[in-house]
Amino acid sequence: MRKLLLMSFVMVLALLQQAYAQSRTVTGTVTDQGTSQGLPGVAVIVKGTTVGTTTGADGTYSITVPEGGNTLVFRFIGYQNLEKTIGNASVVNAALATDDKMLSEVIVTGYATQTREEFTGAAATVGGDVIKDRPVQSFAQALTGRAAGVNIVQPNGLLNNPPVIRIRGINSISLSSFPLVVVDGIPISTDDASANSATNNPLGDINPSDIESIDILKDAASSSIYGSRAANGVLLITTKRGKQGKAKVTYDGWVSSNSAVRLPELLNAQQYIDHKNGAIANALKLNPKAVPASQLGEGNKSFFPNYNADGSMVDTDWYDEVYRTALSHNHSLTVSGGTDKTSYYFSAGFTDQEGFLKANDFERRSGRFNLSHQATDWMKLSANVNYNNTLNNAPNSGSAPGAAFNSSGLGRIAVAMSPNLAPRRADGSYNINPERNNTIDNGNNLIPTSWANPLPLIDLDKNSSETSRIIANLAADLTLAKGLTFRSSYSWDRGNTENIQFWNPYQGDGWNYNGYAYNNNAKRNNWNLVNTLQFQKSINDLHNFTVLVGSDVQKTRVENWGAVRQDLSDPFFTQFQGQFGINVAGGNGITQRAYEAYLGSVNYNFGGRYFISANYRRDGNSALAPEKRWGDFGGASVGWTISEEEFFKNSSVADIVTNFRLKGSWGRVGNGNLPSAYGAYTTYGAGLYGEASALSFSQAGNNELQWETSNQTNIGLDLGVLNNRISFEANYYHNDIDNLILYAPQAPSKGIPGNEILINVGSMYNKGFEFAINAVPVDNGNFTWSTNLNLTLNKNEVTSLANNNAPIIGSTGGLESANITTVGESVGSIYVVRTAGVNPDNGRRIFINKAGEEVQYLHHSGWTYLDGRPAKAVSSADAQVYGSSLPKWYGGFSNTLKYGNFDMNLMFTYSGGNYIYNGSQAGLRDQRVWNNSTDVLRAWTTPGQQTDIPLAVWGDNVSNGSSFPIDANVQKGDFLRLQTATLGYRLPNLFGNSGISSVRVYAQVDNAFLITKYKGVDPEISTNGNSNTAPGVERNTIPQGRAFTFGVNVGF
Amino acid sequence: MFYIKTKKQYLIRLALLAMPLAGLTSCEKDFLEAIPETSISDANAFDTPDRIETLVNGLYLSAKSGTFLGGRYQIYNDIRAEEFINRSPNNVTGYDIWQHTSNSNNTYLSNMWTQGYLTINRVNLFLDGLEKNKEKIDSELYAQYQAEAKFIRALSYFSLVQIFATPYTQDNGASPGLPLRLQPETSSANNGLARSSVAKVYEQILKDLNEAEAGLPDTQGSALLNTTRAHKNSAIALKTRVNLVKGDYAGVITEGNKIVSATAPFTAPTGVKHALQADITSVFKAPYTTAESIFSVPMAATNAPGTQNQLGYYFNAGNLEYYLNPNEPGIYADPQWAAEDDRKTKLTANYDGIGRHLTKFSGVSPYTDFVPIIRYAEVLLNLAEAEARVGDQGRSLALLEAVHHRSDADYDFGDLSQQELIDAILTERRIELIAEGFRANDIVRTGQPIRSQGAGTDIAPTDPRYIFPIPVSEVNNNPDL
Repeated sequence: MRKLLLMSFVMVLALLQQAYAQSRTVTGTVTDQGTSQGLPGVAVIVKGTTVGTTTGADGTYSITVPEGGNTLVFRFIGYQNLEKTIGNASVVNAALATDDKMLSEVIVTGYATQTREEFTGAAATVGGDVIKDRPVQSFAQALTGRAAGVNIVQPNGLLNNPPVIRIRGINSISLSSFPLVVVDGIPISTDDASANSATNNPLGDINPSDIESIDILKDAASSSIYGSRAANGVLLITTKRGKQGKAKVTYDGWVSSNSAVRLPELLNAQQYIDHKNGAIANALKLNPKAVPASQLGEGNKSFFPNYNADGSMVDTDWYDEVYRTALSHNHSLTVSGGTDKTSYYFSAGFTDQEGFLKANDFERRSGRFNLSHQATDWMKLSANVNYNNTLNNAPNSGSAPGAAFNSSGLGRIAVAMSPNLAPRRADGSYNINPERNNTIDNGNNLIPTSWANPLPLIDLDKNSSETSRIIANLAADLTLAKGLTFRSSYSWDRGNTENIQFWNPYQGDGWNYNGYAYNNNAKRNNWNLVNTLQFQKSINDLHNFTVLVGSDVQKTRVENWGAVRQDLSDPFFTQFQGQFGINVAGGNGITQRAYEAYLGSVNYNFGGRYFISANYRRDGNSALAPEKRWGDFGGASVGWTISEEEFFKNSSVADIVTNFRLKGSWGRVGNGNLPSAYGAYTTYGAGLYGEASALSFSQAGNNELQWETSNQTNIGLDLGVLNNRISFEANYYHNDIDNLILYAPQAPSKGIPGNEILINVGSMYNKGFEFAINAVPVDNGNFTWSTNLNLTLNKNEVTSLANNNAPIIGSTGGLESANITTVGESVGSIYVVRTAGVNPDNGRRIFINKAGEEVQYLHHSGWTYLDGRPAKAVSSADAQVYGSSLPKWYGGFSNTLKYGNFDMNLMFTYSGGNYIYNGSQAGLRDQRVWNNSTDVLRAWTTPGQQTDIPLAVWGDNVSNGSSFPIDANVQKGDFLRLQTATLGYRLPNLFGNSGISSVRVYAQVDNAFLITKYKGVDPEISTNGNSNTAPGVERNTIPQGRAFTFGVNVGF
Repeated sequence: MFYIKTKKQYLIRLALLAMPLAGLTSCEKDFLEAIPETSISDANAFDTPDRIETLVNGLYLSAKSGTFLGGRYQIYNDIRAEEFINRSPNNVTGYDIWQHTSNSNNTYLSNMWTQGYLTINRVNLFLDGLEKNKEKIDSELYAQYQAEAKFIRALSYFSLVQIFATPYTQDNGASPGLPLRLQPETSSANNGLARSSVAKVYEQILKDLNEAEAGLPDTQGSALLNTTRAHKNSAIALKTRVNLVKGDYAGVITEGNKIVSATAPFTAPTGVKHALQADITSVFKAPYTTAESIFSVPMAATNAPGTQNQLGYYFNAGNLEYYLNPNEPGIYADPQWAAEDDRKTKLTANYDGIGRHLTKFSGVSPYTDFVPIIRYAEVLLNLAEAEARVGDQGRSLALLEAVHHRSDADYDFGDLSQQELIDAILTERRIELIAEGFRANDIVRTGQPIRSQGAGTDIAPTDPRYIFPIPVSEVNNNPDL
């Protein structure tokens, strides 16, 4: 968008040069109102004439004012226009105020830009300034709460874990619901690039401080120009450009400290010993064989204290062994500037971040060079080159999608490890089982724990995912004739990701293999060529047309190769390159996708009052069946700016309401984000039978596979009050998704590989309202308060599914199923067995079976009705839909206060109306060897006792929900969070001739506080990452962190 | 002049414009063509004789999946009853199976069902494709491949029907058995299929095995192939087991006599010369291809059983998930398994702090022990039991002694009544075949209660825990079940 502004600015200047000389000379200095610094390059125009000039490097100007001219207009990009009467003065100074609204004035809409006034779709724009100072890995993490209709959840505190982004709800079931992300014109991959437990979000490859703005396209009218790619909305990232004027140098840096918050409270060693022995006593009463005699000691106990060398009892807080206070720092240097023909932006960034989980790190080195040059009066060239290297390191945290039940997951070990065992021996060595056995040394405990000592996992295992990537773009804009422009843009996104995994032979995942290494290399080649021809025509300033036609082709090829090595010849080796006994191929594959599209759009407005636009796109996608590859998509929108009507202007309402418009759009977009590039093909996969070659039926393809489409309707209202000091936007939307591409579950007895086939069947909708208010309640020069409040209400419902509406069960870590997608409910609803508390008479959990009967459970005894008759066992087959796991309302509330040199920002986010399955709680109450939360101290002991925790019986994995999910572990997810609180201070101008023009220092708290009744670590959690069918689950993941940041912004 | 300059300028502009457009149109017609490059399309799967043979291997590979007959099937049958004690309370390694608290949502039982039926469908698809491409191979190979496929289908149905359906012997197969899928499935149609009766399933199994017997070669040509691929005697041996499980003892004798000589030393008179090995440990050592191993699935470092499916991981020092129950009613405490028995001295060991455990299978990664499916020792015991029940008691005892004396030469069974003989044979199976996947299947075919150590109670044949429930994924997606 800046580009367009810049271009128009260049044109203005060209006009100005034709000005002719006249009598009176006026001089002056133009400064920035905020910093009092001189502003170079400001256009100074005599109102009503074409006479003008620009300010020099120090902000001074001199202009010859023709006779009759008595007002000067000062214009500069990023600042509010200012008019000053000349009168008889020969010196006219001007102080320009920055224009915060400026960014929202222009919207990038796919292949072109439009002004906010012309735009009749639904989109939001977020400026880069709210992103660059946050202690995050990717820009997306900083978008939370910034825009109506956009819901962003960081799955947990694992660094660079891909966020879950949902624009206007969850828009697919088997396909990704992640929006399309376009960086300076090229759609980029957003899938986790890691092949091991170090998550690697490709969005983390972009230095957040390089981002000028993010436009979020939400409705079909705005997004359908992206046709097949746009069903989940589009995030358009525009990186910074140089501004005309002398070179501007900035340095931004911060240091941040991060630590885990809201960790569950666990039993200490004595409580653990007492509780477990108590549970064993209860079990032995029911089944004398419940614990083998070899595991029973004095007094039929199995757990005993261990002692340190100094005689004190071992009482380990495993959180201290697994978590840390992490330190991070970030530096970003930019040099930018330009002449009337050439502008440039150069940046170098370095960030080195630690996670609060030990051995979890993130580093990024990045460089960017953006250049644009007006080569001739009819040709403009622009080029962007961005190179970056991103290194992610993480131990097995059990917090990446699919990893919830990893037995070496540190999030899980930290809570489940027995507190009466020591991490190290007296001599400082790891306290591991001296037998050839993959656990911590059990000390005096007679029942072994199943957990590995986390210390060697943290110290000796290695999981890294390192991406080196170049994103480059070369574009030419040709003016063919007046109003007719042609643009050609070629983009290249080339990345290599090296995934390195080494598991030590002593303890944990590598123990069984006697050391294990897995290296994988992924080469991604992604290119995109876009050609557009645009014609703009205005007739009598009344009829304004823009017509655009174009084509867009993209091809992405990913080649993976790798190998697994096992059985170390010598523990000396700690790398893949060492000597191993066994070598097996691993992580090999080739995937190719191609897209081809032809597009066109027409915009027309009449006198800035009536707007109509239409767009059309024909899309081809290689991942669909050959005969069904092409699809036709398009949309139309209308707008009516009532406040531009004469009758409105003449009414008294116009004194208050300065902008009032209605808009509506309808469009059909496709979703081509197929999970498989080859879903149409029935294939046979190669393997080995012993050492003989084998070939097996491996995929049932669907040669009818076609586009999943959604019909999107949007009706909106824009209102500006008191000279737009308060602006209000409301939208109603309805997205009807049809021909859902589903991994349709098949009866396993059919023997279809994976028990699923990709077919077009099923439908669902998302509908809701979005509200956004921007206001400046106070602005008295010295003190300003500006605020933004947004709210989204969303309802999602599945209306039909495959196979006679057979429900789809969502899986957590492959072991637990607490979600269901079924007709009449929202996608991935919580699906658990109902319970009715703890029977006060006998301490047994009461379950409700499918027939609605109350049945109680006693471990080692079984299932009975409340009157004691034997009952059929309750299982997950008795589960029922509990409620939606998707927030029904969410939003953000941002406040910026400025007083003198101080600035303060308070950003609140809120969300709710959803339920979360807190599976971690089931583990925390499990009556096996695992440590428990202090909840178990409330366990039932005596008849008549009212409690929510059943009688503790050793080995009981049913009563508290480990065996199958129960509603006792489901909680509401409503919350209010102070996402960030920032206090900044702009140092007074005391730098003299040092060359430093401005310095701002700030302190910031991220996740400052959280108000919620949710009992897990955080209501914003997604153990299953981006999964559509298993959202709203917390299972064994590490928590979120709280960060304190100190930073500085320096301008030279 | 001005006019001409402008025109030239426009020409240049148009030339520049043409470049990317030319680039675009040069996009080949098949720009959108993206064909899998690392797997073979169904259209080409039967193209060459070599590829057809790899498809046959693929059927075996499917059955040998660690989730099915490559480990977990055997493990689950052995840990359900009295022989083993669980060491680590982990549902991934069968803690809930040991405790009998699992349900229709159990991931691993569901995987077993799924892998069994995947194998069956692969067989069905193969038979269909083979028929359409029979001209590509000679008729002998055609018959052999067909027979091998049917052998695998029979083995898969037989494995599933024993654990997911009421035992045949309870009501002569009148109970609901399994959905009998014999047609290839590659589309989203035909989800619904009712369960055929147990009897119908056994009928199909025996039909397949009879046809397999007819089509299979006498020998596959090498010791390795004679162990890892089916030949005539493999089909016959499996029939002795199927008939035994059905309670058709006469049938056991008929089939058994085809591959067991009338008197000791017992060997197979035709085809592959099956015989007991003098030293039992040689059967469980590389190269795992003695004449005793009638059918085993091979393992290799490049084709391992997969994480937490390995027999040695469960029973040996791998992770010692289950150790031998040292007390009654565990077989380790049974007097028939004497202290000097090779199977005790050479195939079990002590583990400090835990106790006795099996060393039949290596406890070291990558767990490349072949997994025995049919051993000659089992055939002899099948035949012995049938002879004891309906035939020649003397031959029965001779067969029993052949197996027992191989490992414990001095043991004297003494005078045994018919029932004592049967009991001794059943006990011998527990000793000889421990950790090879027979225990629970033997219990349910003989209608005994499961003396579960994990549940701490006897599980009667009427108890719903006696057999595994049909997985919920089948219940949800098969409307005719």
